Amino acid sequence: MQSKLKSMQAQLNASDHLRHLGRLFSETVLIEVDSNEFYLTFEKGALTLLEAGPSRKTPWRFALRTDTDALRQFWEARPAPGFHDIFGLVKIGRGRIEGDMLLLVKNLRFFKEFMALGRPQTGASQ
Amino acid sequence: MIEPIVGRYVTIDVKGVTQRIYFEETGHGRPVLCLHTAGADTRQWRHLMNDEAVTGGNRLIAFDMPWHSKSLPPEGFQTQEYLLTTETYIETVLAMVAALGLDRPVLAGCSMGGRIALQLAALHPDKFSGFIAIEASDFQPAWYDIDWFDRPDAHGGEMGAALVSANISPFAPEAERWNTLWMFMQSGPGVFRGDLSFYTRDDSLIARLDEIDTAKTPVHLIVGAYDLTCTPEDAKRTANAIDGATLSVMDEVGHFPMSEHPDGFRPFFIEALGKMPEHEA
Repeated sequence: MQSKLKSMQAQLNASDHLRHLGRLFSETVLIEVDSNEFYLTFEKGALTLLEAGPSRKTPWRFALRTDTDALRQFWEARPAPGFHDIFGLVKIGRGRIEGDMLLLVKNLRFFKEFMALGRPQTGASQ
Repeated sequence: MIEPIVGRYVTIDVKGVTQRIYFEETGHGRPVLCLHTAGADTRQWRHLMNDEAVTGGNRLIAFDMPWHSKSLPPEGFQTQEYLLTTETYIETVLAMVAALGLDRPVLAGCSMGGRIALQLAALHPDKFSGFIAIEASDFQPAWYDIDWFDRPDAHGGEMGAALVSANISPFAPEAERWNTLWMFMQSGPGVFRGDLSFYTRDDSLIARLDEIDTAKTPVHLIVGAYDLTCTPEDAKRTANAIDGATLSVMDEVGHFPMSEHPDGFRPFFIEALGKMPEHEA
């Protein structure tokens, strides 16, 4: 998971388009996969720090909690229904989103396009 | 290439309010009145309106609801809160049928347009010859806060587009995915929220479904597997509650079939038209 997130970090930081989308986004996000925590700190749309948990000291603004198999399906080029979107994961009971929902929604396109970087880059979108 | 779609304006009265409505039409034969989804407009129908297999025997008419795209909001809108209601929506559709002189058209609506199509099937079946309800269900409450989409500190259109992208199939061509989302990005302040107020809070259709007489006006539902808002389960529940209604499930399509994935939707829409009565000229 760490290497996957690092790959996504590299893609994000190399993308002018995505960093422009996230230019007002400077926050820490928790992604929890099974019980493994990953803290992603964004600075003006760049992912500047990627730290594995556990941590009780790292504040985060919102969290996506899911499982390894759900993320594996989410990152397929054409995911099955429900696995095709982070809110789909919530709808089918394979994910939870917690924290400052409004902040997520204000930056939703940025965060969803970041999460979609884990998919094969064939032109398919988030 | 000049497309065959022709756009014009008509002024109607809806519950005492003057509304200048933009509408488009194309094709010849049986009239089919097409209703767009919440937060969008007539452009969602443009692929079918340019499809000779559809327009060869059908006259497709689509209009922008008041406050949407080229239909301006009514005079005084600047101090009003836009909140669509079932009653206003019904009156708007009926006023358009009358203003355009449509003789019992087929009514085809998507999402909130599908919801109102089913309301009209129950309440005003005499005005229509049949109903195609796309991504339509009896009712489901919002899984989001509709107030997110009307805030002074954020762009409601961009947030709305980012949210509704959850309803678009990964099989949708990239260009059409983004054309679909662009309409939401362009939606006027508070308009998507006002549509969703109707769509997510009015459950009056549930008690009316058994009033629909499919022997007089057939009802066909179509739903996409990637629709998180109106899921196939929602559509199946609704179809099961309407005696004689039929349902098709599209495996590779989401909540905006005619717009997001026109090639994927096309055979299902043609199938649906085939279930509608021939036009009695």
